[in-house]
Amino acid sequence: MNTIQYSLNLKTIILSVMGIVTSLSLVIGMKYYQSQARVVLATPIILDNPTPTKILELETSLSQISSDGTKKLIMKTTSNEGGVNKYALSVSDGSGANEQIVFEKTLDIKKNITIPFNTWSPDNKYFFIQEHEGEKNIVLAFKASGEPFNTEEKYLNVTDLFEKYDNKNNLNEATGWASQNLIIFNTTTQDNIKGPSYWFEVPSKAIIPLSIQF
Amino acid sequence: MRNKPKLKKGNFWFILIPLLASLVVFVIGNRLIKLHTSCANSLTCKTDLTLKIDNNAIGIFEGHKVIPPKIYLAHDNIKPSILGANAPSGKKHIYINLATQTLYAYQGNKQIMKTVISSGKWGRTPVGNFNIWTKVRSTRMAGGSGDDAYDLPNVPHVMYFYNDFGVHGAYWHNNFGHEMSHGCINMRLIDAEDLYSWAEAPKANQKGTLVSICDEFTAPNLCIQKGPIN
Repeated sequence: MNTIQYSLNLKTIILSVMGIVTSLSLVIGMKYYQSQARVVLATPIILDNPTPTKILELETSLSQISSDGTKKLIMKTTSNEGGVNKYALSVSDGSGANEQIVFEKTLDIKKNITIPFNTWSPDNKYFFIQEHEGEKNIVLAFKASGEPFNTEEKYLNVTDLFEKYDNKNNLNEATGWASQNLIIFNTTTQDNIKGPSYWFEVPSKAIIPLSIQF
Repeated sequence: MRNKPKLKKGNFWFILIPLLASLVVFVIGNRLIKLHTSCANSLTCKTDLTLKIDNNAIGIFEGHKVIPPKIYLAHDNIKPSILGANAPSGKKHIYINLATQTLYAYQGNKQIMKTVISSGKWGRTPVGNFNIWTKVRSTRMAGGSGDDAYDLPNVPHVMYFYNDFGVHGAYWHNNFGHEMSHGCINMRLIDAEDLYSWAEAPKANQKGTLVSICDEFTAPNLCIQKGPIN
């Protein structure tokens, strides 16, 4: 009888353990099962003399509209035989009306200016451009109104300010705005490895290191 | 030595106990083990999925105050919908390429929109094939904690495709082309407005516009999904 009792108790335990292991396996298997990489293919599409339609696409660097469509930054480049390019930046309404020149600069043809896709601050009060000189990017921030930041600064040279803040890393590019007055920019180390990302606060000129990279 | 009492016939309890134990473990394990977060906005995930407009509210994002856009529904009827106006009828499909942070919208075989977006950085955007389950002109999205806390009223032109993950306009940042969200797909305001007027919510027996979130995408229809959730 004791042997039978012991056998029955042992069976109970074994069955219980098996049941628990099975349940756990089911749960874990359901949760952690990963489908194989799935490639979704619809019916092959054959384009046959496509009719041009209105397509919304990324705008070129010649002009860039704000996120809400109410402002536009326009860059006109004038080239001459002297080996220089003259850049004129102007701000207008989204429709192109009320255009007002805010900045002009003449550069050697080895340099150029571009308007990033995310040039406008979310509240349309500021914008930034990038001046390219070889591998060096110079980020310049402006007030959309064209007003200077102070009696000495028509614009803020983010790159220069960062070089004074940190002489080990190089400002690589500004990607956009984290908020209404924070420009996000990335850096590279002297070994040309991706460095930390920062915020540049307009108009206080504060430089804030970030714990994440963009 | 006294013998222990005999067990009941059928050893009923000796079968039931293991079964009950297995069931308990299964139920508890199913609830506790969660691989994928089903919410984008932790505070408003289940409560704020309907129309909400608050033109007097101030938002918070990354520790900074943000002024949301004013929303007046009456003004929406004045603006004509132009996206896809000249495209032939066809199935609508939105693709999002997470690798390049680009959104493509197709109607039939016509690409009618291509623009950069911002997908999840502080919360991963779910990969898979979904249908827009509702569209909301404006709502509030809140979540995070500490320095990451955010509260954003009047988020415009929201197209929910999976729980509270949606495609919508973003007025608090302008860093499109880079991951910036807690799982949703952020768009420029003008892009979200156009897409919202074109995309379809479910109606009658028809599902809403298909939304494919792809790890990689090659136009016009090659969508690579590694580990999709559906």
